[in-house]
Amino acid sequence: MRLSAEERDELRATARSLLGRENARATDLWDEMVELGWTTIHVPERYGGAGAGYADVAVVLHELGRTVTPSPFMSAVLAGGALSLADNEDVAGLAGASPGTVALASTTGAYDLSRLTTTWQSTGSSVRLAGESGFVLDADLADILVVAARDDDGTVVALAVDASAPGVRVEHAPTVDQTRRLFTVVFNNVTVPADRLLCEPGTRAEELLERVLAIGVIAASCDAVGVAERAMEGAAQYAKDRTQFGKPIGSFQAVKHHCANMAIAVEASRAATHAAAESLDGDPAAWPAGAAITSSYVGPACSHACALALLVHGGIGFTWEHDSHLFLKRAKLDEVLFGTPSWHRRRLADAAFPGLVAERN
Amino acid sequence: MLEPGGDLDELRQGVRDWCASHVPKKWRDEQRGVSHSDLVEFMRWWGTQLREAGLLAPHWPKEWGGGFSIPEQIVIAEELARGDVPRNGLYHVGVFNVAPTLLHSATDAQRRRFLPGIRDGEVWCQGFSEPNAGSDLASLQTRALRDGDRYVVNGQKVWTSWAREADWCMLLARTDPDASKHKGISCLIVDMHTPGIDVRPIQQAWGPSDFNEVFFDDVEVPVDNLVGAENSGWAVAQGTLSAERAIAILEATERLRCHGVEAAVADAVAWRLESGQPALDDSAIREFLAEFYAEVHVLRHMLNEMIEGIIRDVDVGGTSSIIKVFYSELLLKLMQHVTALQGVAGQLDGPVLACSGWETGFWMNDYIHAFGWMIGGGTNEIQRNVIAERMLGLPR
Repeated sequence: MRLSAEERDELRATARSLLGRENARATDLWDEMVELGWTTIHVPERYGGAGAGYADVAVVLHELGRTVTPSPFMSAVLAGGALSLADNEDVAGLAGASPGTVALASTTGAYDLSRLTTTWQSTGSSVRLAGESGFVLDADLADILVVAARDDDGTVVALAVDASAPGVRVEHAPTVDQTRRLFTVVFNNVTVPADRLLCEPGTRAEELLERVLAIGVIAASCDAVGVAERAMEGAAQYAKDRTQFGKPIGSFQAVKHHCANMAIAVEASRAATHAAAESLDGDPAAWPAGAAITSSYVGPACSHACALALLVHGGIGFTWEHDSHLFLKRAKLDEVLFGTPSWHRRRLADAAFPGLVAERN
Repeated sequence: MLEPGGDLDELRQGVRDWCASHVPKKWRDEQRGVSHSDLVEFMRWWGTQLREAGLLAPHWPKEWGGGFSIPEQIVIAEELARGDVPRNGLYHVGVFNVAPTLLHSATDAQRRRFLPGIRDGEVWCQGFSEPNAGSDLASLQTRALRDGDRYVVNGQKVWTSWAREADWCMLLARTDPDASKHKGISCLIVDMHTPGIDVRPIQQAWGPSDFNEVFFDDVEVPVDNLVGAENSGWAVAQGTLSAERAIAILEATERLRCHGVEAAVADAVAWRLESGQPALDDSAIREFLAEFYAEVHVLRHMLNEMIEGIIRDVDVGGTSSIIKVFYSELLLKLMQHVTALQGVAGQLDGPVLACSGWETGFWMNDYIHAFGWMIGGGTNEIQRNVIAERMLGLPR
């Protein structure tokens, strides 16, 4: 059951107070979030989740963004979401269990399934994985990896791989955004039982992985909106407090218009992301288009808002000590974490334009 | 006549069927380049069609001939946009601006006197801006001096749409020159046939002349035509931000989606690159068209949220400014890119279509026309001040 508006407000308030605590240890925070059931809010009850919706998970993602909290929450949400989509009920049953993550990208950061750098080969009752997946969030903390791989013919599979399986190795790939942890996952002839396939190889697996990617894009957008919203609030407060030429700098129109542009970006991104998160609780066939629309607008708009927030702070905003760079770096990572806006736009064009042209010409 | 209170899908089909049977098939071609008087005649005819179908003022309360719920109004707006119907320019001020103000601030007697006329085809104009009071509207200087049971109005208004055709003007004039500038203004209803009113057309940059200057020289207005209390005209004119204005932008947004962005995609098959390839095969062009396609959906999501906010009685004043800026800049950006794409071939002159939305297919003219949205209704620069001050609390 989806949360009511009141329950969602309550969730937001709880998340805000939990994440707003000073000097909270990351592991304590994680334990509490798991305890509260937040990592599986969206997982159906039959798989051990709360059976609420993505629009509810979105509330927590937004709050994590606002506080630029380092947390494996997003990867857990994606793994749970991916596993819940599995046709194979045994694999889907893992959705509510252990923390996981998704490995969808190539070592160059491409999300196009034709560019996967992890390969698979059938050995009868099992699948052998080789190669590497790039840019995997929180892989060192995951028990289960949802892995996309292709074979020599280009047939794609989605597999639930135990992170502890022999031959799996994770290598930290430090990012400019220090609030996030990305990894390269190396598969050295890893044997995975065939009953760990999420679904039939081929077109069904491609469809499923597209949907997982859509969840990723929208989750990253939820984070970005929280980041940009908090950056905007901080900049607006600074513009009221800081005086130059005997006046608050927020009374100067150039600064005021920077702030207005942040508000425009945040408001539009919030509405778009909210609609996209709601859509994840509806027909999955519509997810990729909704995700592409979100990626196209929200990522660039939120990082632009964070850039303006840094500028409004002037010299102090350019220091390591001040938080501005944390917001900006995190928003920049969110913008491209699950594929560039440019790539998503081109895919949107490929999906939407032929119909429009046929209808009108 | 379409009726409120039924099934939404049936209403949608009803409006769709009505559009199919009532919108002249070739109206776009026939109305290109027509004279001002032919344009006005066509708009009057179109207004009659809308009125007879119950679609002129669906947002009005039931007792005044409307009564469609907000979801029903959204369906109507979507279908009118989709059906590419002529735009109701001539009656827009009366139906969308004056009527809500009267419903909010006027006396029962005034409503009974003026609302039926708006419904039945009287044309209204809005006398707000002046040569020296644009963005700083509250500095307006047109005077209304009380003399017994009438006011005597002197001054000048500008950018007044449809003033030549108007039967009535909703006028802002200064009734207390000694009060601070927002506090000395009153809202008056002026009969445009009163002696002493001189209207002169202004041709706009995109061609048509629906704008005017209006001069008031000792124009007498009965005190019965005062809306709200004397000297409260500023508040009366600000009114409340009601759902119908959001729905008017929703209709414009749907037009931008169907006849702007989607039409540009379809047209881009025919446009050729220097290489002779269809423009739509070029990945950079596909990318920016997809970007606008995404943005028009984002705008629609924002509108949906604003309308929900209005229903829940949340203050959406800042959001409405954001939507105005977002819509107008998206409109202009689309026209800018398409005209750049068309190259010099897009610069050929042609007949202007004045009674459509902002998406007539004459992209260079649409580009010029789009600037109207950046400036009208409070410039985007002023809107940004409003956004920063109202939503973020920045000092004035």
